Amino acid sequence: MKRTDDDKQEPLEPEEVAGTPTVEKAITVVGWQGVRCNLPPDWNVTGFSMDRESGYLRVDSPGEGSLTVQIRWTDAAKPEVKTFYHVLAPHFRRWLRRPPPLPPKVDLKANLEKFLKDITKQAKKSGEKLEASTKSEKEEGENSERRAMNFSWTGNGRGQGKIWYCSRCNRVLVAQVLGLGREQNAIASIASRLFSSLEDHSTNGYDLWALYDLQVEIPEGFRLASQKLLSGYIQLVFQRGAERIVVDRWGLANVTLKKFSLKDWFTNHANVALKRFSVTETTEEGHERIRYVGKLTPLTRLRAVREAKLSLRNVPSCYEAETWHCPESNKIYAIQVWRHARSLDVWDEVVRRCVCH
Amino acid sequence: MRLPLKYRLYYTAGKYLPFLKLKPPEVDRKAALHLRPGRNSLLTWEKRETGELVLSVPTNHHPKRMTKWVSKWFRFPEARHVELDEVGGFVWELCDGTHTVEAIVQKTGHEYKMNRREAEVSVTMFLQMLHQRNFIGFYKRVGKKS
Repeated sequence: MKRTDDDKQEPLEPEEVAGTPTVEKAITVVGWQGVRCNLPPDWNVTGFSMDRESGYLRVDSPGEGSLTVQIRWTDAAKPEVKTFYHVLAPHFRRWLRRPPPLPPKVDLKANLEKFLKDITKQAKKSGEKLEASTKSEKEEGENSERRAMNFSWTGNGRGQGKIWYCSRCNRVLVAQVLGLGREQNAIASIASRLFSSLEDHSTNGYDLWALYDLQVEIPEGFRLASQKLLSGYIQLVFQRGAERIVVDRWGLANVTLKKFSLKDWFTNHANVALKRFSVTETTEEGHERIRYVGKLTPLTRLRAVREAKLSLRNVPSCYEAETWHCPESNKIYAIQVWRHARSLDVWDEVVRRCVCH
Repeated sequence: MRLPLKYRLYYTAGKYLPFLKLKPPEVDRKAALHLRPGRNSLLTWEKRETGELVLSVPTNHHPKRMTKWVSKWFRFPEARHVELDEVGGFVWELCDGTHTVEAIVQKTGHEYKMNRREAEVSVTMFLQMLHQRNFIGFYKRVGKKS
């Protein structure tokens, strides 16, 4: 079938597809480093930091929208300048069985003033005038664990935000919705949605990691070690000592599975040689699933220790993996766990808490 | 669609003489999403049963006498072939000058159940690559007659 440019197809006007959602859903769940919130459909993470103690998250509205959500957090218990004392003190405390010191009292007002001063400074540089207003401090959350202050500012753009200190996780968190000056109502609506759903710590011992249709809960002790966010492929690697969880998500499954079987695809992309492990193939809720379980060889254990920067804590001895194809979202998911013999339920819990559609 | 000589010189100077600090203007995302990609009329393509698409790119469509003679003598191929995968082929078929970049992003995202952001990034990168190779040009609809 040879074609040239003269073969005209039925023209598709942009208006016809403008309202077509890519994946039909009511909300976008965003989760990163213990922070989680709900936003309108198709909002996407566009910026993030790898650090858990202090970092930021940026989520943008889809298409031609100009609204943005920015979330910044810092650990109030973390000293600003880390000295030799701060490195040794926790070890001595553990050795002497002394309780850790109480975190310093956080002055929310001072923190907010500093934040507003910074954005005023930035606005001044670009020649715009910024007016900010703040509201009084109030207590929020279960058992009044949060002290919070609302604020808003107007300049060339407009912002509405909230700063809070959570006594449970010791985080100071600043969240704001930014937009153009004329978008006051839209900003207010998004802000109310954001502030009502925003959480800075997990309540069930599992951190939510949710971005680009991937939604998985990982035990709190695991820290994000590396990530790959490519178009059509997402990989998140978590570590706890030498234990490791690798979550992979491939898009365009229908294209991939025309050329490869699910088993071949995973065998090519798994981080270990899968020949030695026992394989179970099942189908659950229309999802083809393949599970690999087995013991790691001494060489693979050493490799795991090397990849964990020679950490000898929780040296893994077991490998468990599951890959599945979700036709509803047209994605292939894979969860691999290198675990210590004691951490029995890690893999089961992570797979159970991974939402594919 | 070629840029006027003035701009081409400006960008080339900016690229090779960095101390001049000539930067191309920032592209407005909104405007870019409203452009309409159209195919180079010299290209022909063939669709395979597997969904892949093979483009035939003529190597030299205005050969000089000498070039023509040399290529004939050495039996140079008259066209080179570029293979696009299924998704690439899908986007290529939408580059007919009637669809905007925005519409192509929406349609691709819907067809392959891709996240809006993922679809936008991959489609715009792919269109950029096609444009760099002169396989497509971008049109802007100017004035609509009632």
